[in-house]
Amino acid sequence: MIRVKAPQDIGAGLLFILLGLAGVYFGRDLTYGSPMRMGPGFFPTWLSWIIVGMGIFIGARGFSIEGPPIVMPQLRPLLLVVAAILTFGAMIGNFGLPITVLVITFIAAFARPNPSLKETALLAIGLAIFAVLAFIYGLGQPLPLWWEF
Amino acid sequence: MDIISNLATGFGAALSLQNIFFCLIGCFLGTLIGVLPGIGPIPAIAMLLPITFGLEPLSSLIMLAGIYYGAAYGGSTTSILVNMPGEAASIVTCIDGHQMAKQGRAGPALAVAALGSFFAGTIGTIFVAGFGPILSAFAQQFNSPDYFSLMVLGLTTAVVLAHGSVVKAVAVILIGLLLGLVGTDVNSGTTRYTFGVSDIWDGIDFLPVVIGMFGVTEIIKNLESKEYLRTPIKATLRSIWPTMKDFHDSWPAVLRGTAVGSILGILPGGGAVLASFASYTIEKKVAKDPSRFGKGAIEGVAGPESANNAGSQTSFIPLLTLGLPSNAVMALMMGAMMIQGIQPGSAVMTSRPDLFWGMVASMWIGNAMLVILNLPMLPLWVKLLTLPYRLLYPAILMFCVIGVYANNNNATQMVIVAVFTVFGYILTRFGCEPAPMILGFLLGPLMEENLRRSLVLSRGDPMIFFQRPISLTLLIMTACVVALIVFPAFKRTREVAFQEE
Repeated sequence: MIRVKAPQDIGAGLLFILLGLAGVYFGRDLTYGSPMRMGPGFFPTWLSWIIVGMGIFIGARGFSIEGPPIVMPQLRPLLLVVAAILTFGAMIGNFGLPITVLVITFIAAFARPNPSLKETALLAIGLAIFAVLAFIYGLGQPLPLWWEF
Repeated sequence: MDIISNLATGFGAALSLQNIFFCLIGCFLGTLIGVLPGIGPIPAIAMLLPITFGLEPLSSLIMLAGIYYGAAYGGSTTSILVNMPGEAASIVTCIDGHQMAKQGRAGPALAVAALGSFFAGTIGTIFVAGFGPILSAFAQQFNSPDYFSLMVLGLTTAVVLAHGSVVKAVAVILIGLLLGLVGTDVNSGTTRYTFGVSDIWDGIDFLPVVIGMFGVTEIIKNLESKEYLRTPIKATLRSIWPTMKDFHDSWPAVLRGTAVGSILGILPGGGAVLASFASYTIEKKVAKDPSRFGKGAIEGVAGPESANNAGSQTSFIPLLTLGLPSNAVMALMMGAMMIQGIQPGSAVMTSRPDLFWGMVASMWIGNAMLVILNLPMLPLWVKLLTLPYRLLYPAILMFCVIGVYANNNNATQMVIVAVFTVFGYILTRFGCEPAPMILGFLLGPLMEENLRRSLVLSRGDPMIFFQRPISLTLLIMTACVVALIVFPAFKRTREVAFQEE
């Protein structure tokens, strides 16, 4: 009987198979060429198939050798940290550095349970001032200071 | 003496007031970030990379060397004081170092670590200066097939000597190779895997990838573990100076550690990691009373720390002479050099000797700075350690995003950071180390180019890799390394060596 023994290995195997197949699929229009005149598709196609092969091997191993379980991801830190990064990208060009830093600090603070609002506000203001002083005045980086419309 | 005149060139190039200033700043910032709990040297270096970009090449490399040693030493400080190794190489330092800290002897432990590292760094620098030109001259004879085989050997050894599952690491490296190919193919001008996004036509930028995979993923992992959100860490420091007995006990360990580290560091793969484990084992074996180990034996700190530093020094040799990064930290260095327009390899030594020797000299300067800067500032670092993580991580995140954005004011980079954060996170959930990916990412285009040239040379016959003597030797070495994993005795040793994680 087939039984899942190492969930991490099976997960990793599936991930690699998917990535390898994606490499083959999205590279299908690239010229393959021949070994003597390698086209742009030659190396990626080979790599992708090897990745698929490794994925199958790792996945299959997960049915035969015991391994640790997959620790369920906690969505809160992952989603909010990623949200903070994307928000920074969306806001910085329009709102300038200090306001953007205030906003992302608040988003980031909620990545952990029960952040204190007062403490976060102080931290956000402190970071905003520090960012302006250090990056714009100190290092002279060409970052927008205030909003532009 | 060639070495001496070469080193003189290097010190001449490196020792300007301006460069020393940058090295000092680098060292300071490196220690500052490296000492913070939950940030190992790799994320610390990744975060600080952007500030070196604006400088001229030599200054930027010197600052980077400062950051590198600073971050490594910062990591040791955290291991000794709070028993939290930021990287694999610091794990053994924790064993006896933290015991010493518990007995109120954190000061001597840190001082011995710094002085031992400085000595090891000095010897390591001489090693680099001595071996660099020899290997580099040898590398001049390399042709495309040899380079291809060399990369195969380098990547294989890196996988075997690093910790974690070997097959998974291989798969992760291959994905890195594939991701490195994204962008315009230099030969045909075709864009590959860009999905119409013009920002990645020149390839995916190095910085958002490393910031996402190493910097941000680390924050998420720490937030999940909750350990870091607990009440602030308590750390105390009484006296800094070691006693005469401490010196007497530790100098032989420093010597042995340096020797082991210098040799193992040259190997591709986690040279420094292997070196610190090996040194600890040796110290335990030669000690008159091995039972002292694990209870605060100063040799258990002095040996591995010296080995670690000598190893990190000599692991520059494969990078600077062959263009082969042997671990993730070296890959970061290589990425930083490439951003400066320098392709590391044997050509650097002949075309830009000031740069090569300047870099070698800067390693020593970086090490010297550490002793000068860190010992007197220890009380400050200890204070930093007690900063609560809940205040730290938003600041770290801010540094990560601003660093990437300021590099080219392009908001698309944030999407790349986000994608690689999630990818790095998924990899760790499936028990894969993300670090090897960066090696493949940097070597992808190089490997393809050398494969293409080799096959043009041989008119499409893959046997060329077995017909050229250098290439054949390298492939035989690769086969031996692979055989090692299959060989049960070595497999067991490897498991024992890395089990403590």
